[in-house]
Amino acid sequence: MTTMSEEPMTPAPAAAGQLSALAGDVVLRAEHVSVEYAGAQPTHAVRNVSLELRRGEVLGIAGESGCGKSTLAYALARLLRPPARLTSGTIQFYSRDRSDPVDIMALDAAALRRFRWAKVSMVFQSAMNALNPVISLGKQFGDIFIEHVPEMGRAARDQRSRELLEMVGISPDRIRSFPHELSGGMRQRVVIAMALALQPEIVIMDEPTTALDVVVQQEILDEIHRLKEEIGFSIIFITHDLSLLLDISDRLAIMYAGEIVEYGYSEQVAARPAHPYTYGLLHSFPELRADRHELRGVPGSPPDLREAIVGCAFTPRCRFAFGPCLSTHPDLRSPSHAPRLALVPGGGQVTGPDISSAGWSVACHLHDPKLRPAGPPAEIAQPAGSSEPAVTTGEDT
Amino acid sequence: MSILEVRDLSVEFTQRGGPRLRAVDNVSFELRAGETLALVGESGSGKSTVARALCRLVAPSSGEVLLRGAPAGRRGRALRRYRREVQLVLQDPFASLNPSFSVEHHIRRPLRISGHPRAGIDQQIDQLLRSVNLSPPRVMAKKYPHELSGGQRQRVAIARALAPDPAVMLADEPVSMLDVSIRLEILNLLDALKRDRNLALLYITHDLATARHFSGRIMVMYRGEIVEYGPADEVILNPAHPYTELLESAVPRAAVTRGQLVLQRRERLQVRKTAPPADRRELAADTGCRFRGRCPYAMEICATHPPDFEVSAGHTARCWLRDPAGAAGRTA
Repeated sequence: MTTMSEEPMTPAPAAAGQLSALAGDVVLRAEHVSVEYAGAQPTHAVRNVSLELRRGEVLGIAGESGCGKSTLAYALARLLRPPARLTSGTIQFYSRDRSDPVDIMALDAAALRRFRWAKVSMVFQSAMNALNPVISLGKQFGDIFIEHVPEMGRAARDQRSRELLEMVGISPDRIRSFPHELSGGMRQRVVIAMALALQPEIVIMDEPTTALDVVVQQEILDEIHRLKEEIGFSIIFITHDLSLLLDISDRLAIMYAGEIVEYGYSEQVAARPAHPYTYGLLHSFPELRADRHELRGVPGSPPDLREAIVGCAFTPRCRFAFGPCLSTHPDLRSPSHAPRLALVPGGGQVTGPDISSAGWSVACHLHDPKLRPAGPPAEIAQPAGSSEPAVTTGEDT
Repeated sequence: MSILEVRDLSVEFTQRGGPRLRAVDNVSFELRAGETLALVGESGSGKSTVARALCRLVAPSSGEVLLRGAPAGRRGRALRRYRREVQLVLQDPFASLNPSFSVEHHIRRPLRISGHPRAGIDQQIDQLLRSVNLSPPRVMAKKYPHELSGGQRQRVAIARALAPDPAVMLADEPVSMLDVSIRLEILNLLDALKRDRNLALLYITHDLATARHFSGRIMVMYRGEIVEYGPADEVILNPAHPYTELLESAVPRAAVTRGQLVLQRRERLQVRKTAPPADRRELAADTGCRFRGRCPYAMEICATHPPDFEVSAGHTARCWLRDPAGAAGRTA
């Protein structure tokens, strides 16, 4: 594989033990990625997004339609087509064989063709449309191997395809079936099997369960989780359904108007959302078993991404907006109530100034002690039903 | 007051080279003015076929539908009158609006067809748009579907359904295509319209949480049958049918830690390992309880088709476990 290594970026901090090094191991690092859709007035769909995907983790990306989450995913797999264009940013891929990092943006056409699906594969939103309706499943699996593993014989291809079907809980003799002979859940299983055909290191899943009902959705999520444990790959899971993400992802990135507005461990974010938008999303679906109470959702609609955005993009919909929100763009910072001890994968703990990279960040002026010495309002950042005061931090990170 | 009464409704479809498929099997229920009845179940359970049969997009193969006590019109003028009273909101607002016509056109048509005079029709359109919170109405009326967001489109679809001033509204998964953040707005809107216009609302969904929070009563449908029926809180908090239990347990729980989640996941996978492969589980059991192939409590008697048993006042379940005479008392 062609690798265009630029100046070597330090991958995860060289740790003492092999294990802890693996735990914090980064498989994909995107920095300052911006994407725009060309037009008379270009649409800035993704604006200066940086994120890290660690080996073996599920990173959830949540947000409303039009917030740029799918565009970001397409950019990460370099699947953007005109009029979409990556205007800035770097995307580095660190293979599990510890070879040099791959600069995804620098791959030429042939290298990109080899790279995609073998290293980064994708499960698209609609299983209905992702499969070719006039070709049997066997042939569609076969196409993957013909393209990527040309030395594989017909019998071997057939054998491997059957194994893949079995792996996702479908009987292997379905190999001769056509997509219309399968139910929605089964089709989604097939699409997942195809994504795993070449044992990729990253699978990007764009709303993989949106069209399915709860029972099937739970089965598919369980299946994804099991395969991840058995085979070992990382997942970027995109959906607008935050309750689902809390179920499956280790870390969450909440996107709004093309930017990440909150980024942290699912448990922390769920318990004490730091951004008013996250708070709104978390309160926009009723809890099945909870008492009936009025639910608000997030009234209003996201801004027009063709316009320049001054200040915080969420201001018009924010109940807590105050002066600076109108004029100053908030940068990511650690929430004022972030615990001094942050979880790291593998169970260890880090302390101190490393907190923003280790854990939790939010783009909101409510958490800036310079602008708001009193700290965020009580509703934000407080665990439900607890009177424990938010931990305030004096300094910025 | 009961507006629409459905008695023993069945819908059958012919299948190539096979027996007829009974998509809806002897379903009976009633819709009351100013009340929401939720119909829940998984895909393929027959929920949408019920809605389609109720607005006569498919012909029922047997059974009766009574509107205000009178049989629903079957053809001609009587059918048109019936359809005016029973309106449908479809799932996908991207597909249910015609892209080449303006919002105004979508609402003017049903108004004209239901006999609204040309004079004053613009005011009527504005009022309908206002009632679904699309403002300013004159600006919105001139827009085309591609200029609207999903939520706005669904509001147009609702305004269109309201245009003939119906007594019954059938909402078939009205929010499942929409963003989570705007689902509540649409559901709150339907709820308010139901109250203000004294509508009888049938809310078809696979989302148990909104079914519970937005309806008075819930019906659970499995493979064409109503297997459980009762007050919303009763059905969700004290499910009497194992299928309802399954649906209920599949809803993600926010209040669980990740450790617990992983454990639960392992348990479920363990259970599924012993079950037949996913594509074979659904094979029909022709006689007897249709759920017994998936039911963790299946007994011998389940080979006989169960009747409805009353669990408590107004709460019934079609399951032998609820047979007061049966020796099969359940401890769970």
